[in-house]
Order: sequence, then C-alpha cells, then structure tokens
Amino acid sequence: MAKPEHYVIIGNGVAGGEAAYHLRQRDQASRITMVTVGRLLSINRYELPKLFTEPNLDWRDFLLNPPEYYADQEISVRRNTWVTNVEPTKRQLVLRHRETLSYDKLLIASGGGRHIPEILTQYRDLMMKFGTYEEARSVCNALPKGGHMVMLGGDMIGLDLARALVKGGFRVTVIGKDFLFWPHQLDPDEKESFAQVLRDMGVGVITDYGAASIAADDRGPAVRRIVLASGETLDADVLLSFCGLMPSLAFLAGAGVDLERGVLVDPHLQSTDKNIWAAGDVCQIWSPEEKQYRFYYGWGNVKRMGQIAAFNMTGGDESISTFQDERLVVTGSGEIDSPYWHYGGDSGG
Amino acid sequence: MTSNAKTDIQIAICGSAGDGTIAAGDILKQAMAKAGYNVIAFDVYPPEIRGFGKCVARARITSEQVYSLKGKSDCLISLDDSHAIPHVRELRKYGAAIYEDTPMSDMAEGMHISGHLEPGHLPYGVPMREMSERITSSGRSRNIVAVGYLAGLYDMPAAVFHEVIGEKFARKSPELGASVRSAFDAGFEAGAGSFRLHFDRIGAPGSAGRHVDLIMMSGNQALVRGCLDAGIDTFFGYPITPATTIMEMLAREMPKHGGRLLQTEDEISAISAAIGASYAGARAATATSGPGLALMSEMMGLGAMAEVPMVAFVSQRGGPSTGMPTKTEQSDLNLAVYGVAGDGQRIVLAPTNVEGCWKCAGKAFEMAERYQTPVIVLLDLYLSNRYEAVELPDENPFASDCSKWAERDSRARPYSRYRITDDGVSPRAIPGNPGNMHTVTGLEHNEQGRPNDQPATHQEMSAKRHRKLLPALHHPGITIEKRFGDAGKVDVGILGWGSTFGEILEAMFEAHKLGVSCAAMKVVMLSPLPVDPINAFMDDCDAVLVPELNYEGQFAALVTGATGRAVNRLNRVTGTPMNVHDIVTEICRLAGRTDSIAAE
Repeated sequence: MAKPEHYVIIGNGVAGGEAAYHLRQRDQASRITMVTVGRLLSINRYELPKLFTEPNLDWRDFLLNPPEYYADQEISVRRNTWVTNVEPTKRQLVLRHRETLSYDKLLIASGGGRHIPEILTQYRDLMMKFGTYEEARSVCNALPKGGHMVMLGGDMIGLDLARALVKGGFRVTVIGKDFLFWPHQLDPDEKESFAQVLRDMGVGVITDYGAASIAADDRGPAVRRIVLASGETLDADVLLSFCGLMPSLAFLAGAGVDLERGVLVDPHLQSTDKNIWAAGDVCQIWSPEEKQYRFYYGWGNVKRMGQIAAFNMTGGDESISTFQDERLVVTGSGEIDSPYWHYGGDSGG
Repeated sequence: MTSNAKTDIQIAICGSAGDGTIAAGDILKQAMAKAGYNVIAFDVYPPEIRGFGKCVARARITSEQVYSLKGKSDCLISLDDSHAIPHVRELRKYGAAIYEDTPMSDMAEGMHISGHLEPGHLPYGVPMREMSERITSSGRSRNIVAVGYLAGLYDMPAAVFHEVIGEKFARKSPELGASVRSAFDAGFEAGAGSFRLHFDRIGAPGSAGRHVDLIMMSGNQALVRGCLDAGIDTFFGYPITPATTIMEMLAREMPKHGGRLLQTEDEISAISAAIGASYAGARAATATSGPGLALMSEMMGLGAMAEVPMVAFVSQRGGPSTGMPTKTEQSDLNLAVYGVAGDGQRIVLAPTNVEGCWKCAGKAFEMAERYQTPVIVLLDLYLSNRYEAVELPDENPFASDCSKWAERDSRARPYSRYRITDDGVSPRAIPGNPGNMHTVTGLEHNEQGRPNDQPATHQEMSAKRHRKLLPALHHPGITIEKRFGDAGKVDVGILGWGSTFGEILEAMFEAHKLGVSCAAMKVVMLSPLPVDPINAFMDDCDAVLVPELNYEGQFAALVTGATGRAVNRLNRVTGTPMNVHDIVTEICRLAGRTDSIAAE
C-alpha cells in the first residue's frame, strides 16, 4: 500500500482552510497539517469589525469551524508555530522551535501583513494592528466609547471596519491620499466621488494630504498625534494603517522558489517547485490577459484559490480565472463594494 | 484578579526528574495557599531512584472547598515534551498549554508538544530556557520562568510568589533567592503581556480566604505533624515508597523534640523495635508500605497477643509484591485488617484527607495506649503525596498519656498483666516497675502472662482481646464514620474509605446537580468496623455503591461480610486516583438514569 501523502499548508486563513477542506474531500487517506503562527484556529477576519457593535463576542464566535471539525476531518493544526526555512530538496520545513516537518506537497497560504508606506515605517510601533482576533480585541479595548480612530490609507479592509465603527458611534477619519480603496485603482474623479460616499456615511476623509509624521501624545499609550504634510495635526485615540498588504514569505528566502513581492505561480497555482503551490494574498498569479504576475485579493478570490490549489495538489488540472470585474460600486444600502471584494458570509469547509 | 469570579483552576506541570517540576508545583501551591485559596495538589514521581523519569505536579486552586483533583486540567505546563505529550489528553477543551519554545537541540518530527495539542487547546510557546539564561545566566530556572508565566497569564498575585520564593531559597543563599525571583518576574511579565484567550479567571479567595492560617501540607506531612503533636518518643523504620518521607521528616524533627529515630536493617526489625520501645513505655511507631506490612505481620500478631501499644503507618501502593511503587492503590486493606496469624484483631484507621492524616496519627497513639493494641493508620500514595490547604487548631487535641496503668508497688496481690476486666483492658505496667513483675509472650497465656493453652483460657483471652477494641468505635475526638449529602431515604448511597472519599464527595455533588438523590458515608475506622452506623446508612439507600482502588473490592467484601448485605462495586486499578466521572456514571446507572456528567 502506498504511503499516504502528507499535505502541509502554511497559513490557516480562508485560502488555507478552504484548501484543507478540499484536500480531505479528495484524499481521505492523507495526512493534512496546517501550520500557523496564530494561537487560534481559522477565524473569519472579515467579521472582526463586529467586535465594535457586539462587544460580548469572544474568539469562539469568529471561528470558521469549531475544534471538533478539525478532529473529525483529521486535520492537524499546528498553531503558535513559525516556519523559518523551506527546504524543497528535502521536502521539509524547519520550524523555529528546531523541529523539522516533512511534506509531500506544500501549499503556501501565509497571507500578508499590513503594508506601511516607507515614509512612515519609522512610526510602525505607534500604529495598532487589526489582522487577528487578538489585535482586533486590543483595538476595541483601546478605543474609548465615541472615540476617534484614524486610518492611514483606507483600503477595502479598513473601510469595512470604518463602516462598523461609524455604526457603533465612533468617529473615523481616513487619511486617504494614497491607498484609498486599495486594491482598486481609481482615477481622481472616481476616487473623489467614492470618497464623498464615505463622507455621506459619516466617515471623515482627507484626500489632499498624507501623513508626514506621527507622535505619541502624552495622554496615554494609545493616543497619537498625526502631522499631515500640510502641517495640520490630527489627534487619534487609535491609529491604524490600512495601506494594503505585504505578503508574508520571509521563510521562503533561499528556498529556490521564484518570488517577486509574492510567490510566483501559474494559473494552476503551482510555483516553480513542482511540490509547492501557493494561494491567497501571498501569491502573484500569472495573468495571460495582462501578461504579468498580479495579486488577486478579496474573500471570493482567496477561497477559490484554496479550492483550486487543493484540486491540483491531488492530481487535478484546473486553472483560476485571472479575469475579474474590478468595478467599484455603491450598493443599494449605500455601501461601497465590488463584486470580487464582496464577502459572502459562507465559511466554506 | 476578578474579585467576584469563582476560582477553580487545575494546573498540571510535567517534566523530567531534574527539571524542577515538583519544585515548580510546590511554589505554585504554597503561594496560592498563602493567598488564601483552597489548594489540592498531588505529585507523581518516577519509580526509578536515579535517572530521568517522569514527574507530574498537579494543583487544583479553588475559592470554594473541593475534595479532589479534576479529571482534566485547565493548564498544562511542559518542561519536557517527551513526558508531557502523553498528558495532552488530560488538558480540557480550551485549556492552555505552556511549553518550551526554544529547545536546546534540533528535534525530529513529532517530538515537540505543539504537534500533539488538540484543536481546542490554546498554545503558549514560551522561550523559557532563553529567558532563564538571559536573567540568571543559567537555564536551570526555566521551571521558575514557567511558573512566572503561568502566574502572569492567569493574573495570580505575584507578591505571594515572591514570599514563597524568598522563604524557599533564603536558607540556601540570598543571591540565589534574588536570581530565582528575577526569573519568576521575567516569566510573570511575559505571561501578563500575553493576550488571554482562555476563559479561566482567578477570583477572590472566597470563603477559604477567611482563614488566615491555612497551611499547605501533604498527607505525610500532616501525619508527621500529628505524631509530633501527640508526643512521639521513638520511631523505627526502613525506607519504602511512599512512606519514606515520613521517616525523613521525623528524622529532622524528632531530635528537636527530644525524640529518637533509628533506621533499622529491615521492616521486621523496625516493628520489633517499635514494639519493644512501646513495651518499655515509649510512644513508638513505624511506617511502611504494603510489602513492608507483609513482613511485619508476624510481629503485628505479637503486638496483638502481648497487648503492646504500637502504631504503624502504612501507605499503600500498587501491588502485589514490589508492584507499582509510585502508583496509588487501596489494595492492602485485607492485609491491614486481616493480615496476621490467628485472630489478631487490631485497630485500623483510614483517613480520607490531609487533615484526617493529622488527626488519625495523633489519635492512633491514644487508641494504641487506651486499648493496648497495635493500630494501623492506612494511607495510600495519593493521600501521602496529596497536598491540601488545611487549618489546624491552635490547641493540641491529643492526650499525652492514655494508658491504664497498674498500681505500682502493689504487694497486696500478685500483678496480673492480663487480668480479665469488664472492658477487656488490663492495667498495664512497664518492665522494672516494682511489684509489677510479669511475663510477656507470643504464646497464649493466662492472666499472669504465663503460657497456657487450655481451651477455656484461649476462649476467654480471645474474647477479651476483641472486646477491648469495641469502645474504640466511640473514641473521643475522632470521626469514626460520617454521612454526607441528602438526609433520609435516597436512591443511591456511596460508601467510601481512604483517599477515594474526596472523589466520592465530588461525584455526589455532581449527582445532586443532575437531580439524583444520593448520600455518602465515609468510614474511617475499618477495624473494628462500625457496623451499626453502616447498617443504618444502608437502610436509607435503595442501592449502595462502593468505589475503591483495588481489583477485588476489599472494602465491599468487608462491608458485605459484616452486614450480610450486597453492595455494588466500582473497582479501578489504574494506579491513578478514582475518576469522578466514573463514579457519577455508576451513581446515575444505579438511580435508573441514563445521563452523567461530561468526561472532562
């Protein structure tokens, strides 16, 4: 009898979770191991803004699947675990705690962390994060009732939060000279028109100037003073950066897999190593239409990538569609959305 | 700390001998007892005298009175993954695992505990070794870093840990104490800074906090304290797990009180010397475990026949033979009650908790003297090594001399050492008392002690030796048996003895929550058996359950033999304490219920 395949997935976000589910569906005998730095099982980060309107929720309410799901599906989730190296020739990972982990097929779905524009990187410690449950809860705890949150950038992830905050009675100001509506690329007129939609929702939007510097105010550890390029100042109870994502792939340095800003994969999501695939916010997919590698963001896209990667890792032959409708629209309820960014609420597996 | 929350947290620390596992557990339980919480703790050591066997220290910290450890822990600390990995299943859903994140060397796949945690567990990898090396220039304080991390993560009061560390290390060197405290503080800061995903909260100490004099003691420590409070004069022993610490502690303490202790060449010598010392008028004792008691049985018979007061502390472990030296069991009941040639009845006391160890130890000396008999105090490894926060009275309740002494220099009539009396107890004399010359022998004898095997003599003396023990059932100042739970008629009654009674009480309370009418009776005196109270209890019960840690149902057989009534047996010989869930399940079955509590 052939030895069961060992599929290892780095990351436990939407793409990784979806891949694990489909791997199990297609290969009942296999070993499936997910490796993630987080302490929690996969959570639905798209719903984290709910913490501001329903403060009694705890992390269990955000789990994509309960613990029993992983036990039933025989999916091992190694949490609080850092991959330091990938060694494709040995088909093994080296973990920070000095354990090695072998694989037959590897899926990199490590997602991305916040991107901070170079001019502001020196102030990164003055900005809170919002990518995990723990970070979201910390923001929630730091923001006083009716308090003021300032967002640098204002990408689509941040705008979901801004909408929830305004509903919850908080003040929100977006400094959106750059990255407003990221990953959508809008011309100036379009951008101004959608910015007005935000203003109509009650979100303050500054599009003329970006932030030039940030200082900790003496009123408390979470209070920040932002100096705009115009010299004006803005005080915030909480400051966050929503300037897009930076793929998390430092562990791939030296692995021999082709990288640019992300892991370069073909439309089958296979990397330049035959045993390594990538899915989600970490990968740049070759677009035959555009003749370039590009990122595809949004819940629908990463979910689909997880499915296709699993399909192809188990002998399938499916390509991802690299065409997408990138229009930004105003929904009937007055919210800004786009067909591919839209979160459908289905937790998948 | 969250002031209003009830506290009920169980911590398990698992490591290899040499990792400081037991020391870490000791600091934890001492600190939390000092803070006013109820603490029940139980340490498991490796059977090997040398080597790197597994150590597990468990401590349940509560604001309310509880009676046993929980089946599952809320937090598992691994100081050695190879030992801790099998214990992962003891961690409850959403429980926290704290483990080493910077091991010394590379490891193969599957050797790190993070790969064995269940999906519902919460992982907290901590660079214990690195932190210890950074703070103390040595990795040896990683156990203290771990305890500090735990304390910070659960918002435990750091000040009491500082006190305990200070007390523990002050005798060694102030520098070492300061270094250990620094390691604790580093761990505490890291723990306090970690995001808390667990749902356990440390509340105020609660009703336990009213007591300011709670002392953290093990069963063996309490037993030693009882011996000292009772004024023990002499002790003879031979080391054997789990009774060895009794002799070790007495060796330290007795000289301070003018007592003498001798380690003999074996158990036979130990009990022989104890009987000899007692015959000479001293308060004497020995301590052993099942295999030692087996060797002592011949001299136990001499003690019974010669009517010499003597106390033997027996801590049971897995048997027969060498058995399982570091595992708990209650399988020496038959040996304790019956193990002697002939009809050699003696008193057997089995405390059910740590405070009971103190009380039974002290009262054993009173009983031995008053009823002129060997008294066995029967513990087991679980109770010997179990720690509880106890409050002992300021006033010493133990009488210093309970002997019925013969009148000295009585020349009026010859002294009859074994004179038949109404209560069966004959006035006693020690050798050398003028006018009290007498013979002592293991042979059957007449009232003067001279060998005599006449039918009437043996009949009469046998009756005397048994009759004199019955008043022990009403000996003042000690609980012989006690009923708990629902009054009046109940669906299920649980009869228990020894260390298992804590689990029985916990199970009874769980059954009450399920709406089952039940009561429990603990029986502390196993010989002579309090038959009348047991019968009265059984009259009230539709069904009677006897859970005990032996295969044969030794106490169940004792009860059935004495009452002629059937009981339902629940026997486990896993080497571990009885599982509360198992008892509740059996209670429910006997009550005609199909439900029980969750396994965790």
